[in-house]
Order: sequence, then structure tokens, then C-alpha cells
Amino acid sequence: MVEEDFKRQINSLSKVIDDLDYYQILKVDQMSFEEDIKRAYFEESRIYHPDKYYTDPPEFQQKITAIFKRVCEAYRVLSDPEKRPFYTKLINGPDRKKYLRFDLRLLKAETEKAEDEGSSPLAKKYYKMAKTAIQNKDFKAAKINLQLAIKMESKNQTFLDKLKEVIDILASRKGL
Amino acid sequence: MGRAVGIDLGTSTSCVSIVKDGKPIAIPGPDQNLIQASVVSFLEDGNRVVGNSAKRMMIENAENTVYSAKRLIGRKYFSAEVKKAQAVSSYKIVEGENQSVRIRVRDRDYSVPEVSAMVLMEMKKIAEAYLGEEVDKAVVTVPANFNDGQRQATKDGGTIAGLNVLRIINEPTAAALAYGYGKGLKQKIAIYDLGGGTFDISILEVGEDVYEVISTAGDTYLGGDDFDDRLIDYFAERFMREHDLDIRSNRMALQKLKNASEKAKIELSEKLETRVLLPGIMETMDGPIDLDYTINRNYFGQMVLDLIQRTFKVCDEALQNGRLTVGDLDALILVGGPTKSPMVQEAVKNYFFKDPAGEVDPELVVSIGAAIQAATLTERKAGALLLDVTPMSLGIATAGGLMDTLIERNTPIPTESSRIFTTTHDNQTAVRIKVFQGENKFYEQNEPLGEFRLADIPPAPKGDPKIEVTFEIDANGIVNVTAKDKDTGRAQSVQLTVSGGLSKDEIDKLRKEHKDKDEEVATFKPTAELSE
Repeated sequence: MVEEDFKRQINSLSKVIDDLDYYQILKVDQMSFEEDIKRAYFEESRIYHPDKYYTDPPEFQQKITAIFKRVCEAYRVLSDPEKRPFYTKLINGPDRKKYLRFDLRLLKAETEKAEDEGSSPLAKKYYKMAKTAIQNKDFKAAKINLQLAIKMESKNQTFLDKLKEVIDILASRKGL
Repeated sequence: MGRAVGIDLGTSTSCVSIVKDGKPIAIPGPDQNLIQASVVSFLEDGNRVVGNSAKRMMIENAENTVYSAKRLIGRKYFSAEVKKAQAVSSYKIVEGENQSVRIRVRDRDYSVPEVSAMVLMEMKKIAEAYLGEEVDKAVVTVPANFNDGQRQATKDGGTIAGLNVLRIINEPTAAALAYGYGKGLKQKIAIYDLGGGTFDISILEVGEDVYEVISTAGDTYLGGDDFDDRLIDYFAERFMREHDLDIRSNRMALQKLKNASEKAKIELSEKLETRVLLPGIMETMDGPIDLDYTINRNYFGQMVLDLIQRTFKVCDEALQNGRLTVGDLDALILVGGPTKSPMVQEAVKNYFFKDPAGEVDPELVVSIGAAIQAATLTERKAGALLLDVTPMSLGIATAGGLMDTLIERNTPIPTESSRIFTTTHDNQTAVRIKVFQGENKFYEQNEPLGEFRLADIPPAPKGDPKIEVTFEIDANGIVNVTAKDKDTGRAQSVQLTVSGGLSKDEIDKLRKEHKDKDEEVATFKPTAELSE
């Protein structure tokens, strides 16, 4: 059986977990190195891993699983070189409370903002048409428009990436 | 209360293990073999034979002997994989309800989980005969790259077999567990798992009792069976050129050639050259014709080179996703029968710049790992703690055709992600959500998991209801969906339609049916006590 002390600890942690950021969940500070974060993840897993409590009452298992999920979530974000700085900036900003749990959509929106839509009007136009074609799932048209955009600006990484994506989709469609 | 075992339910072979006095061991079957064929043969008298003895019936009872059912599990009837299996199988694969796959044998249709259940029941019996005790719990392994439907179907198979499936774990993860058991390692290891029908690569970091999967990738339709198919095609083509007869058009002849090809493949692991002799394989007006060819290892190696190369593409992907290079790895572990082949070993060694760990038996290691996990879960000891990941991204369909990814691949499990849904017109009472797994940004290109329907929404102006839907991937890698009204906190009913799956009622019915049948034909009783 689980000790009473530990049960009490789990109960109080369950109550406050929604107010903790990922650093607090893993008990590391914001300057920690990658290895420290991994070490913390392993240490917290040794305490909260639900497999250790598999034979305990379901209510307790549910509580500990909920905590462990947050530990995993915290590690997922803090161990990712792209997600971690983005998350850290948000929780240190004015809307800290809103951003305690990481949202993939926010990061995606941020990356899309950084997209290079071309500098010449013609390249911009072709890229826009390609994007519309993708929306309409007309990948052949998208491919042609992207190729035209690349003709205008051969070094635009956004165009090149998009073209590769479209070619992949066309190839996978052929396989069906 | 019964005992808990670990079962490796493989495409071509299966194995059952247990931890006995702190030592994990694989258990021998009635023929003293530690490995049993995942084959079920349905006899004319209504009985069935499972395991190595069923495999011996593949020729005489070809149409009624089911093998490699794992290739079909959790698949939809119209998928490319099922079509491919249909073309090469000697048994009949037909369409069932709800796009599911059914296997038609002796005028009866069986679901794929049912066939898996038959193999699992055999493994259960083997363990019971050895232990002299009831076995009612098991950890069952699946390829790391199995999706939700395939995992669920495997779990259903366990339930039908009368087992409480404690956990579904990934085969490479289980292998890592067996490798690290009791060693207190601190290493990064790669598990190269080439099975009969699937390929997985997992990269783990072991920190004494903690096993963290850093990344995993796989191909659920690439394995040793494909090596056999290459040989079959080679012999059949050559025979056709010489005699203008297609062996593949005759089920029994094809089965003979299949067995001979598999045997030749295994022999080429030991010998540089082997002879395949099938006397009178085809009948003609002028009498029977023999097939008599020799093949050498080098030539066979060239035949399957592209298949082996395909596995390295998957390895590249796993390393890249884990932000690692082969130089970061401390150990390499080979899993699966096909890795016994010198050609595979040589190629893998060259890719990883490393010799594989020698002390691991590629054919037993997965079931041993599963047994260790079963002991950890049931014996309440701080055994090995697995930190596994989900092999593919989970997302929902959006209006523009794009997939809205909720949980990315290689996310540690268990995990969850929530979204708030609302209605688009006044007094709308239901909302549908389509869920997919896969990496393509367009949901149509990914694997559909099913459709969730939020029903009984109280009538309200559009946009007013706020329903929070939580998508969870549990420790089995299985997706669960729950919903609640954001304002009232009241649970919101969710109806799920999984394409291709079995309903709970069907599973219960089959479980009872098989239990009754089992009691009725309890003919197989081991007579001799098996020794270690």
C-alpha cells in the first residue's frame, strides 16, 4: 500500500499543478542545461511513474497518472530546442497564467509569421496562387506556381520547402 | 488469482516468457521448442491446431491454414497492405462489416483479432502446462510503429483469449528492457528490430532502472517475409521461363515453394550455397516436373539489398528525430529472426559502425522483456520504468483539409491534449470530430482512427456551447477521448465509430464462445512435466 504521507503529497500536488509551469513541475530552474532537465525527468519518473502503483486503487492511479502526464509534457517541451525558448518567453511575459501549458498552435502561428513570402511582386503572386491551389488540393497547379516563384527567387527557402512538400504529396497520391 | 506472462505475438513466430525466481525465461512448447509458429490450421472435424504443428499443415491444408495474420490486424479492407496480402495468401481474405477484414476458412468468417486470440490462447496453454497454474494476465508486445487501431485490435485479441492484457508494449522497448535487466546501465542504445513482417528502430537512453525511448520509427510492412517473397518470385520466374508454367497459380505448389524458399533463406545464413529441390511440383500432360535450383548467398544478398537499404532510411529518420548520430550510441541490439542472417548483420554493422550485443537471442528477447514488464506491474517491485513515446502524430480534420496536430510523434506517453469545440448553427445538438494518425499535413493522406460524435448538446445559440474535448494517448499507445462542458463541468457523451474495429459486445461474445469451445475440446493436455 501507498504510504499516507505520499498520498497527502499527491493530493496537494493535484490541487496546485494547474498553477505550475514546466520548470516548477520538473523542479529545475530556467537556466538549467539539457542534461539537468533529463536527469530531473528521470528522477520525477521514479516518483510518479504509474507502473509503480499498478496494484493500487484506481482513484489513486488516476491521480498519479494525471501528475505523471504533466511531468512528461514538461519534459517534452523543455527538452526541445525550439519549444523551450518559445515557452520560456511566454511564461515570463504578462500573460503567464494563460501560457502555463504549451500549445502547439501558438508555435505554428509564430513559424508561419516568419515565412518568407518573396520580395518581387511576381514571385509573391505565384506563391499566393500556389497556396490557394494547396487549399483546393490542386497539387499539380501548386507545383507549377511554386516552380514559377522559384524561377523568380531561386534562393527562397520557403518556396523550396513548399515545393518539396507538394512533390511528396503528389508522389504519395500516386502510390494510392 | 492466475499468473502473469509476457507474450511476443509475432508475424511469423510467437514466444511466451515468465520471470521465475527473479530470472526471466522463455517457456518451451509441447514440442520443446521455445518458439512457436503464429499459424492456425482449421481441420475438417471442426478442431484447430496452433503453433509449430499447424505450420506443418500449411501444404496439405493450405486453404484452411492461416499465417501472418498480424499483417492484417487493425487494417481496413481497402488498404494497400490488405490488397498485397490478398495477392500472396493461400487462405481467403474477405471484406467484413464496417470496412473490416475477415478471414474465410471452412465457410466461416473470422475477425483478425480472433485469429490472434487463437495464437495467444496457445501461448497461454504452454505457460499453464509449464507452471501447473492458471495464467490469466499478460503483457503483449506490438511493433513500435503500430497505430491506435492495430494496438486496440491486438488488445482485443488478448481479451478474446481470456487474458487480462496488463499492457501493450513496443517490441524494441521490450528488447531494451531484456538487454538492460539487472545491469544498472547508463547507455544510449539502438534496437534494430527486423521481424517477419515489420521493421522498427528505437533509440533509447537507459539510466539504471529508467528506459527512455528517445525516438522510434518503423515500417509496418517490411520484414523477413519479403525476403521469402523475393526468393519465391525468383524461383517461380525461372521455372516459368523454362517450362512455361506458373507455380504461383497453383495454391498447393505455391505453398510448397514458399516453405522451401523460407528454408533456403535460413540455410543461406549458415551456408554459402543451398539447393532447392521440389520433385514433381507441377503436373503436366507429359507427367510431373521437378524444380531443382541452387542459389548462393551473394546472389540472394543482391536480391534483397534494396529491402535492407530501406531499413536504413528508417534508421536515418529515427536518429534525425532524436537529434543523434550513430557516434552517440553505446550499444546495438538486433531483434527478430531475419537479423540472424549474415548479410543483414554485415550491413547493420557497417551502418552503425558497431558490433551487435552478442548475449541477446534475437528471437526470445522481446517476450523476455514483456515478462519483465508483467512482473514489474504485478509484483509491486520497483522494476524497470518505461518511458515510451507515441510513434505517430495524432490530429483532427479541419475545414481546409489540413490536419490540426494535437500530439506530435515521439511525444512521451501517457499524454493528453485538449481543444474546445463549439456549434456552428443555432440549437445544434451534435458535433462530429474526425481523428487521424500520421505525419502528412493533409489529413486525407493519414490513417483515419475513427469519428467521434459529441451528442446531446443542450440547445443554445451557435457558438455558445463550449465543449472541451481531451484526447489521451495512454501507456498502451491507445487513444481515448473524453469531453466535458467547459461551463458546467458536466461530462459530455462521446460516441466513437472506429472503422474496421470490433465492438465491445462482439469481443465479449467471442470471448465466451472461445471459452466454451475450449472447454469442449480440451484435448491437448501435456503428459510429461517439462524440464528447463
